[in-house]
Amino acid sequence: MARRGTSGFRVYRYVNRVLGHAVLMLVALLFLLPFYWMLSSAFKEPGHIFAAPPQWIPSPWHPSNFRDVLDLANVDFIRSFVNSLFISVSHCGLVLFLCSLAGFAFAKYRDAPGRQSLFVFVLGTMMIPGSVLIIPIYVMMVKLGGIDTYWAMIVPGAANAFGIYWMREYIGENVHDDLLEAARIDGCSELGIYWHVVLPVIRPALAALGVFTFIFAWNNLMGSLILLHTKEMYTLPLVIYLLNGDSSIPYGIVMAASLLATAPLILAFLFFQRDFVEGMTSGALKA
Amino acid sequence: MSAPRPDGRRYAERIRRNWHFYLFISPFFVLFTAFALYPIVFSFLLSFTEWDGFVPIKWVGLDNLRLAAHDEAFWNSLWNTLVICVLYIPPMLVAAFLLAALLNASWLKFRSLYRTVFFLPVITPMVAIALVFGLLYDTERGLLNATLAAIEEAVPWLGLRPLPWLTSETWSKPSIAILLIWRWAGYGMVLMLAGLQGIPRTYYESARIDGAGAWSRVWHITLPLMRPVFVFCAITSLIGTIYAFDEIFMLTYGGPGRSSTNFGLYLFNTSFDDFRFGYASCLAYGVAAVVFVASLFILRFRRSDWN
Repeated sequence: MARRGTSGFRVYRYVNRVLGHAVLMLVALLFLLPFYWMLSSAFKEPGHIFAAPPQWIPSPWHPSNFRDVLDLANVDFIRSFVNSLFISVSHCGLVLFLCSLAGFAFAKYRDAPGRQSLFVFVLGTMMIPGSVLIIPIYVMMVKLGGIDTYWAMIVPGAANAFGIYWMREYIGENVHDDLLEAARIDGCSELGIYWHVVLPVIRPALAALGVFTFIFAWNNLMGSLILLHTKEMYTLPLVIYLLNGDSSIPYGIVMAASLLATAPLILAFLFFQRDFVEGMTSGALKA
Repeated sequence: MSAPRPDGRRYAERIRRNWHFYLFISPFFVLFTAFALYPIVFSFLLSFTEWDGFVPIKWVGLDNLRLAAHDEAFWNSLWNTLVICVLYIPPMLVAAFLLAALLNASWLKFRSLYRTVFFLPVITPMVAIALVFGLLYDTERGLLNATLAAIEEAVPWLGLRPLPWLTSETWSKPSIAILLIWRWAGYGMVLMLAGLQGIPRTYYESARIDGAGAWSRVWHITLPLMRPVFVFCAITSLIGTIYAFDEIFMLTYGGPGRSSTNFGLYLFNTSFDDFRFGYASCLAYGVAAVVFVASLFILRFRRSDWN
């Protein structure tokens, strides 16, 4: 093994770095390949997606796939996009409100009787996987007339034990008691403290939980399959699933629809990624 | 805090003084009771019944467990889950660790760009990306087989050739495993990167002073300290694979035959194709119980290992 400072070590180090960069670049390209393939396929003519040899750059350029997505007979793409957006944003807002408010209560009202046991109880239910909830929620929605409604997609998952745990941890560490006391002395109401003192401090955690929740809601295929049965209510994952099952629709159009469904998510992620990745790491490692 | 025995009046007084606490947790608890607690109890009771959602519920006691014991499709789905786990989790952990180690190198440029790229698959809609993988995997005309055919022609002695990725019972599970590796390696990488950054530099420095080489430092310092992260990733991936749905539903629909049906997809089919609500609840609870006990066991093992 070469020693520090000798030319042998410098060569060794140099080779190491070049190798490291090469590996990372290769893996990065492999990771991006499916995205690129989606992008390029969305601009290909019907016959060219499976051309031999494979077509890396669409030729001829065929952007009308995107117009055709909007003109499909059996799905209303724009309506579905709006449905997905409305459901995801509302669900996200509800989760953030419920979890931050309850997380604040659990973190800061230390004197309230029953605080510990209620919290342990919430955590305990986290051990039970979502798979046992699906049938009861479906049955409940049938009984309550929730099939084909927005609220059936927005409300049930909003009482999120993981979110409340996360918010309690974050508020416990980052919102200082003297800040709350100072606000109380200034005559701020408890709800006012939540709104004016707690929420601004926990913005990074809200962003992280928000993106996490939004992505989850936006990609929710199983919920849509079970709860949404009419064309007007379809969400994007359901539309893409249905387009794919219809063999009369060229793949280029399906890929254009997929691209339109993926792009907002990637943009949201790029915008909030620092909070998101950090939030995900801290949440996961503590759990 | 030492809680004094709640004599009635002081206790009531404390509740009254903290009424904001109960106000603030109440919206959460209302929804929680309706959409988590009630379903948990309901489906537990359902698991002792036979019900399709319409006819009156019929109590069958433990019959569902007996049915499950002889349900070949159920055991087959567990077997498939296990095989997919074996094919997916070890390579994913190795890839995640190597990527994290490279990203942790001090000389690296564009670190956050790489991190973003590797993390991107975690957040993309599975529905969309599974379709792209379907195109790539296409046996006759897909990009993957076109590439393999080209390699076969150029360097025949490598032994690579086009494979029936999604059209054969042998290759459907590896195909799904590859998709899962692609999707989750970035998540593991982010966790491992956080773990690596948590190891104090002084450990490495004193090891170096003691004459430990690079490999020995990785083997004796990095890997032992990273063990909790590996265990965490492995457990979450295992649970994730048991309940994975979108990937398999979109890519193979569990086929060909039943060759790639995991537990999550089997549960969905039992529930919403066959409408066997009672039996499906029993399966869901049974598997959840086994997973819960197994995770506790592993975590306990890990803790005693630490001390």
